[in-house]
Amino acid sequence: MSVTESPTTVAISPRAAANTRTRVIGLLMAVIGLITTFIFGMGSVGSAKSSLTFTPVNLQSAPWHLGALTLSTRLCDVIIGLLMIALGVEVVVRHPAKGVMARFGLVAVLFFLALLVWAARSPGPSQVPFINLTSILIGSSTLAMVLIFGSLSGVMCERAGVVNIAIEGQFIGGAFLGSMIVSTTHSFIYAALAGAVMGGLLGLILAFLALRYLSDQIIVGVVLVTMLGSLSSYLNLQVLTPYPQYNTGHTAPNLAIPLLSKIPILGPVFFNQTGFFYVMLVLVVVISFGLFKTRWGLRVRAVGEHPEAASSVGINVIRTRYTSVIMGGAIAGIGGVAFMAAQGQFQPGYTSGLGYIALAALIFGRWRPSGAVVASVLFGISVYLADNLQTYQIPVPTEVLGMFPYLITIAVVSGLIGRVRPPAADGQPYQRD
Amino acid sequence: MPRAFTQFANAWVRLTSKSPIVVTFFAIVLGLLIGALIIITTTPAVLVSWRGLFHSWGGLGHALKVTFDNVGSAYRDMFSGSVVNPPEFWHALTTGKNWNQALTPISETLTYATPLIIASIGVGLAFQTGIFNIGANGQAILGGIAGASVATLIHLPMILHLPLTMLAGIAGGMIAGSIPGLLKAFTGAHEVIVTLMLNYVVALFLIFSLLSTALQRPNQSNDISRNFDPSAQLAPLFGTASGLRVSWGIFIALAVVVFAWWFLDRSSLGFDFRVTGANPNAARASGINAKAVIVMVFLLSGGLAGLAGVVQASSTTHLIDGGFLIGNAGIGFTAITVALLGRNRPMGILWASLLFAALGVGGRAMQASTGIPLDLATVIQSAIVLFVATPVLVKEIFRLHTAQTGAVQLATKGWSS
Repeated sequence: MSVTESPTTVAISPRAAANTRTRVIGLLMAVIGLITTFIFGMGSVGSAKSSLTFTPVNLQSAPWHLGALTLSTRLCDVIIGLLMIALGVEVVVRHPAKGVMARFGLVAVLFFLALLVWAARSPGPSQVPFINLTSILIGSSTLAMVLIFGSLSGVMCERAGVVNIAIEGQFIGGAFLGSMIVSTTHSFIYAALAGAVMGGLLGLILAFLALRYLSDQIIVGVVLVTMLGSLSSYLNLQVLTPYPQYNTGHTAPNLAIPLLSKIPILGPVFFNQTGFFYVMLVLVVVISFGLFKTRWGLRVRAVGEHPEAASSVGINVIRTRYTSVIMGGAIAGIGGVAFMAAQGQFQPGYTSGLGYIALAALIFGRWRPSGAVVASVLFGISVYLADNLQTYQIPVPTEVLGMFPYLITIAVVSGLIGRVRPPAADGQPYQRD
Repeated sequence: MPRAFTQFANAWVRLTSKSPIVVTFFAIVLGLLIGALIIITTTPAVLVSWRGLFHSWGGLGHALKVTFDNVGSAYRDMFSGSVVNPPEFWHALTTGKNWNQALTPISETLTYATPLIIASIGVGLAFQTGIFNIGANGQAILGGIAGASVATLIHLPMILHLPLTMLAGIAGGMIAGSIPGLLKAFTGAHEVIVTLMLNYVVALFLIFSLLSTALQRPNQSNDISRNFDPSAQLAPLFGTASGLRVSWGIFIALAVVVFAWWFLDRSSLGFDFRVTGANPNAARASGINAKAVIVMVFLLSGGLAGLAGVVQASSTTHLIDGGFLIGNAGIGFTAITVALLGRNRPMGILWASLLFAALGVGGRAMQASTGIPLDLATVIQSAIVLFVATPVLVKEIFRLHTAQTGAVQLATKGWSS
């Protein structure tokens, strides 16, 4: 038995502890606001102007044209900073029971915006005197989409009580097979199906070793990632290099939704995307609804929280876990294909740890589909900015920005900000009596 | 049934029931078989030869010959590139010349094994305490950065400089290790998540520090450090002229093995560690301070990983760059698999490190001579560890009904434990 929690430890007023944590988040938000106000806002020259543009480049179906918006850098960043301070103070004073993390996410997004406004100020060090907000959102949305696939996969597996640390491996497997299939069949539908099969197969291996042989799920996951990384690198050299026709590197075409895609800013981000993006949107809705509103979802969650109890009311724990893990693996496999469809040609190692960021998003999102989506968007933006801010010559090293997803996840799991609780039986072996 | 056969079968059962090493052995066999299968299914020449079977049955012999030739030459090159090349060795033995050439393969294996042994001992110590230190790679990188700072910025005579460089590496690893240790002890944060995330933080910090004015090589715009001072380098064991790269670091590795053995089997702190790993509740009941143990095991494990990082840089490249321990070169990740293969025991880890080092070095030789990519070695390594982590599966495949599994200790029980 794995009952370790004695009732006495729970008695230390959890309400007070929650309030303290909420206050810490509020303070942190206010501090970020102060930094924004004084360093980005007051720190820039009073006459500096920042220019925002909204018309994306390289899009066949461009939205209705929106002129450039030129703002005073100082004024803009001071306003954003004060807004963040206000949000922080509100959290400290009122410590609301719900929506604290959502406010924190809003502050993070505002911080990114303030950073961009400040980075593009002119006169300033930047060679590009404007920022194209729509392009940045489009770029981030691709990363966020892949992260959402990955973290939804994690939600599926871990809600059923199996730790899926192998998301990265499923990405690699999906991207590899997807690239081969799309090169030979020229169909992204077949590629997505192949990626789903590949991811599902990896999920099956994880489930088989974890559920039948009770292997440590974290070890199996880590080893599967290593194996897929080296296997794909091996096959790339041994098969794809001599036969380049199997890795021609197509990128998926954008499917613009008429009219809606013409809306400025939002249109290109939400309605002028590849098919994978729309599949992702559908999956988010289906999984959120399925897990929390259907009998099937209740069973999955029961298996992940208390398998013995679930078993005693007649739920087949092992079978439920198998199906959830295989489905989760398939979702991550499609995510790998989606990544390949955005990047083109498969290259070994090009997912560069995105699967682990997806894992971080899952944890930051508190093992809930909606939370995972918010976290993935946040992390997608930060990863995109870290990769693309060099052009603005900002004095903040972009590596620090790249650390954001990891540091915030560490802060969350250690309860420094917020509080997360995994499904109670997550990662625990289950043995039938 | 013939008597001889029965006797053999009995001896077989007795042999296989004795030791968990049997399962490890069969895991290695299975890993190599999987490697062979991968070579067969991905080498065009082999596939073409099997196509001959559709024309005539006579093609079978040819196909088998081609298959064995290809698989055989791959594994033969792996062996002769990492252990010893028999003709060269025989030549050296009979003529007394070219010893350096004959010893190069084993020297390369030992060079690669040196930091691996140190890092794997660190991971194994943590496993024995029930802690999954997946962040050995990050700790090794931070150790390398700290060591490189001392080795390139301070100038001292060797007798001070080399120990100081090593100590800096240990300190760097301890700093990286203390974060998950303190967080786990005082907030209950799961060490796997924290160390996993820290690996990426440290990898980004590596780039950041190598681009900083302090560490970056002068007149360079990319991420590379200055060369280590000669007084901070681990010199080759047989002198630079020999061309053999195996360094004095191998003695550091052996000292770490002996230390780990003493620590786990003879010291009272090591006993506390093992009790905590075997049964946390019993440990708490007998008055062991669980928080102190968690922090200390992370300091020790991180310190060893940091030492591994600095030994790696100081004995081979004499500098660190943006690719230091990144990707396939990440000894911290290999160390996890080595510790599992060695069942977290110091001697087991020593042998496992040598095996994995030989696979890695041999893989490079195989790539050079047969063109089969060296990543195959990593695939074989991961397959071996998957089987070692699943002893019951190995027993079922080989029908080792009575063999003890000596079960690899399950260090973690998921996020919520």
